[in-house]
Amino acid sequence: MLQSVSCGSRKFRIWSALKMVSPAIALAFLPLLLTLIIRYRYYFVLLYRAVLIRWVRDCLTGLSREERAFQYILTHATPGDAQSILDTFDHWCSKVEFISNIGPKKGKILDRLLQEHCPITVLELGTHCGYSTVRIARSLPIGARIYSVEMDERNAQVAEKIIRLAGFDEDMVELIVRPSDEVIPRLREDFGVERLDLVFMDHWKRCYLPDLQLLEGSGLLGEGSIILADNVIFPGAPNFLRHARRSGLYEVRVHRAMLEYIRGIRDGMAELTFLGIK
Amino acid sequence: MPRHKLIASESDVSIEVDEGKDNEFSLYYVEVEENSKGGKEKQATRDGKRRRARNGEVSRRRASEKRTTNMANKRAEKKHEKHHKTTRKEGERHRKRQRRRIADEEEAEEESSKEKKNIKNERTKTLKLEDEKEKDVKKKRKKHVKNQEDDANPGKTKQKDCQDVPLKEKKKKRKKPETTSESESQSESQSESNSDSEAKDNQAVGVLGSLTPEELEKLKEAVDERKKLITTIKGKPWPMKKKLVILRESQEFVEKYEGALGKGKGRKLYAYKVLMMKKWMKFERDLENFKTACIPWEMKIKEIESHFGSSVASYFIFLRWMYGINMILFGLTFGLVMVPEALMGKPYGSMPRKTVPREEEASAMNFAVLWDFGGYAKYSVLFYGYYNNQRAIGWLKFRMPLSYFLVGVGTVAYSYMVVIRTMARNANEEGGGDDTSFNFSWKTFTSWDYLIGNPETADNKFASITTSFKEAIVEEQESRKDDNIHLTRFLRVLANFLVLCCLAGSGYLIYFVVRRSQKFALEGLENYGWWERNEVNMVMSLLGMFCPMLFDVISTLENYHPRIALQWQLGRIFALFLGNLYTFIIALMDAIQLKRAEEEIVKKNMTIWQANLYNGTVPDNSTAPPITVHPADVPRGPCWETMVGQVLGKSSSEFVRLIISDTMTTYITLLIGDFIRAVLVRFLNNCWCWDLEYGFPSYSEFDVSGNVLGLIFNQGMIWMGAFYAPCLPALNLLRLHVSMYLQCWAVMCCNVPQERVFKASGSNNFYMAMLLVILFLSTLPAIYTIVSFPPSFDCGPFSGKNRMFDVIQETLETDFPAWFGKVFSYASNPGLVLPFLLLLVLAIYYLQSTSKTYKRVNMELKKKLQTQNEENKKKNKLAALKAANELEQARKAGEQRSNSASDLGVNEESSSLDEAGHHRQAGQNGRLIHPSQSQHAQSSEPPVSSTHTTTRPPASRSHTASGHLPGTDGHALWLHCQKNGSQRGAGKCHGLLCPV
Repeated sequence: MLQSVSCGSRKFRIWSALKMVSPAIALAFLPLLLTLIIRYRYYFVLLYRAVLIRWVRDCLTGLSREERAFQYILTHATPGDAQSILDTFDHWCSKVEFISNIGPKKGKILDRLLQEHCPITVLELGTHCGYSTVRIARSLPIGARIYSVEMDERNAQVAEKIIRLAGFDEDMVELIVRPSDEVIPRLREDFGVERLDLVFMDHWKRCYLPDLQLLEGSGLLGEGSIILADNVIFPGAPNFLRHARRSGLYEVRVHRAMLEYIRGIRDGMAELTFLGIK
Repeated sequence: MPRHKLIASESDVSIEVDEGKDNEFSLYYVEVEENSKGGKEKQATRDGKRRRARNGEVSRRRASEKRTTNMANKRAEKKHEKHHKTTRKEGERHRKRQRRRIADEEEAEEESSKEKKNIKNERTKTLKLEDEKEKDVKKKRKKHVKNQEDDANPGKTKQKDCQDVPLKEKKKKRKKPETTSESESQSESQSESNSDSEAKDNQAVGVLGSLTPEELEKLKEAVDERKKLITTIKGKPWPMKKKLVILRESQEFVEKYEGALGKGKGRKLYAYKVLMMKKWMKFERDLENFKTACIPWEMKIKEIESHFGSSVASYFIFLRWMYGINMILFGLTFGLVMVPEALMGKPYGSMPRKTVPREEEASAMNFAVLWDFGGYAKYSVLFYGYYNNQRAIGWLKFRMPLSYFLVGVGTVAYSYMVVIRTMARNANEEGGGDDTSFNFSWKTFTSWDYLIGNPETADNKFASITTSFKEAIVEEQESRKDDNIHLTRFLRVLANFLVLCCLAGSGYLIYFVVRRSQKFALEGLENYGWWERNEVNMVMSLLGMFCPMLFDVISTLENYHPRIALQWQLGRIFALFLGNLYTFIIALMDAIQLKRAEEEIVKKNMTIWQANLYNGTVPDNSTAPPITVHPADVPRGPCWETMVGQVLGKSSSEFVRLIISDTMTTYITLLIGDFIRAVLVRFLNNCWCWDLEYGFPSYSEFDVSGNVLGLIFNQGMIWMGAFYAPCLPALNLLRLHVSMYLQCWAVMCCNVPQERVFKASGSNNFYMAMLLVILFLSTLPAIYTIVSFPPSFDCGPFSGKNRMFDVIQETLETDFPAWFGKVFSYASNPGLVLPFLLLLVLAIYYLQSTSKTYKRVNMELKKKLQTQNEENKKKNKLAALKAANELEQARKAGEQRSNSASDLGVNEESSSLDEAGHHRQAGQNGRLIHPSQSQHAQSSEPPVSSTHTTTRPPASRSHTASGHLPGTDGHALWLHCQKNGSQRGAGKCHGLLCPV
């Protein structure tokens, strides 16, 4: 009895505290709320597609997102045709679920770079589902080699399947299932790499900077080596960009584009050309 | 570079002459010296021998050094301090460059050249007897070596000894600088110091002492040319650095030799005149600089302008302008109302209206007085109610009520005048024209903001220009594609509908809140908390803050050009503020009616109270002095005027407090929204999972439209309330002063330049128009209250009168002679006033129609010019085509001829001398021309081919065309330009797109 009274009084106190802020003042905040919702609507959409839908589907199917994507591709794409696989991927990502691949638009920038420079040795950090690996591999010259690094075991399995489905063998694509910071110092000993012509970064955004520094230290970068980093604006890798700009080792160029498979969010790719150590 | 600095640097001494001229002049110089030497020739010859010996060495060295490239020169430049001797011989060009840096050195160098001349003269003298041929040969060698000093040599030798009379004045004048420079040059050139010091005594003589008329003529020409150069230097297509250097050098030159141009006796006077002129000009320039320094906040604004572009700066200029106006308003009210009342009026406590009432005394010194302007502040000169209705106060017989009324009218009249005048001036600057017809040309040639001085802003501006280009191209394509106009229209209507809903909602909310606050006031405020008391303020400022953001978001639907979008945005915010203000005023009118009803009751009670007072205390003796009741105890009316100025129904909204709370909100949002945000973004960015600077919160941009509107509305409230609270202009002045500094700091500290930097010049008059509307709308209620309500009976300068403006009539009757009143009454007869008004209207109509005609004529002229231009263009095109054809034919002919000629092996002739020229040509053409081929083409068709090779736009065209068309990245062109910066052509593309 006593307890309920005290409880009631507390309730009353909270109620009165709430009442102290008059409804009119609360209403005055309505425009702010509306503004925020409208201005950041794309981010809400992204949140919905990338997090909520994924969570629901994970619970419903018991498969991971990557596996679902692979199933879809297996049923819809032509095996051995890289373009078909990429198209199917794009379709799945924009229509069904969201996976943060490089996407068709930024992919074109990547293709152009590859055509311009014809790299022989490519290091890819962050294979994820193998979309970008396929994309790179299809426009490489004969005899070129990709070392693709992926930390997650399950993703790597999916990626390997997809790469094989696209028709690239182990001579062309070497999938390394280990964290990037372990792989980079050992590239020379374990894989006999002398020089990297192109490094494509699309893994954890926080790892961009330490990995770049590791690359610098390993001596694998030569003059004219290109480092391409995706998503430098959203989700963003400010420290990476700052280092690249200030160190004086690179010629930095940021390609501005939109985030893949979704409208209205700006993103960019950073293209770093290594100038060589003086 | 800030303007005043530029002026300062102009006024300071400086140099540059082009090379040939400099030499010519040094010839005169030398010769005069040589002549003036006279008796000291022996010593000179001794020197000369030594010099000659060295000269041989020098020439040899020079011949070797001539081959060194420009690069070597530059490198050597750095070593100059140490190896003055060697560098001195490295050629005039190099020396000139040196001169820019070390102004003093110039003297020394002149001396060096002088010395050389000396030597030459000496030599020519000794060689006089020798063979002519030998002389010529020597000279030729010298010419070859020095590349320059050649023309005047033969003539000089002849004229040499004609004039021997040195002007002693000149000598002395020259001597001073010479000696100083001597010492400097000594310190610089250690190795030569001995021989130099010997020679300098001889040389330190009048330069211009004796010149032949011919030379004078030449000198005059040179000086004239320099002067011309100085005046036209602004239009020269040179980089700023070169301009500055050349300006300095030619100024130096003119300054030195202008004085020598007079003749005979007049020379001295002339020199004096020129000197005085120089002094006067320098003084004028200094005065100008001083004036610039006197403009308040000029430097601050310029700095902001250089960082943020002219649109942000326009806000601060507007703020400063507003400050000026408020200064005058403040001067009027302070000087003519507040000070006289404070000095000569009855002191505090002498009357009921000048005393804090008994029940308020306890809280009259609370801290809330600062915030509320209640307590003692309420019963002071700051408010209407304090003033007495005594006709004349103090020993000056100052007509207080009249002054109060006239100041009230005067401030409003002055504001109208200023605003309208500024508008008219701005309208003149606009000059009607259609911006839309040449979209791309406008974008190309006018989009750069030359006041930007900050690299980041320049980058932003650059990016915005490129994106605007892209957008314009896309737009053009879409407009040709006949896009969905119905959708756009629908979206625009929808956006306006949404905005209207928003406006109605906010208006209703304010109305609701004001009504509620009246209810609170009736029930007694003590029962309610802080939130209820400040509800109206809070809601008004919150709505004023958030609704514009919503409008901004909605306006993206409409897809307007940013400038038009800005105007729409401004218009909407304007409507919002206006709606809010007028809701507030309507509520205020209600409150005034309430107060007046209350006043009637108090009046009745008052008589009863007085009767009681007299009856109760003085029963028997009616002649006794009136009983003294402390003025604080006397009952009084509510004094609605002060209320308008200060309190609305004892609740919360009033002008003073509205302004204070408004100011506070501004500053608090500034601190939280900008400063705290900037600090968080800056320091949390290192440990956050996304990029805070580029991504979600980022730094805030300076919101020009919102700030301008805030300023305008604030001013509107000042105008509205100033009649009832003379302290308002002072408060506003304070506020503007603080916000000037605070906002300047905040802008520089925590804002980033806008992504869309656009020029604000077009919208200036828009602001002014808004100010005018606000002025009108804010004086309207004030005038309404003055005209329609009788003033309170026991407070203010007009108490006891029927209407406030009765004070004028009263003055006319009592203070002026009778005839004046009569004249005035005749003049105010409707029979006279109406025709006068009619005349006025007619005059205005006439003026307006004439101005319209002028405008039309202007437009027609413009059109004519345009058509003429187009015709010219066509003509030029035709001419160019013709010329190209001819050139083609000529080239063919030349090629044929050269083919035949090259077989003979004439190529040998294209030796080292011509090689440089060919290289230059090849570079200009942007393709490689075989030396022999081009040479022959040139020789066969000299005029045509040469003009074409030079007039052809240098390589830049190809760069700009090829570099960036696919447009993946805004920086592509930029980088491209920078890469090619070293090449000749890239200068153009720099000039166009990059900050100078």
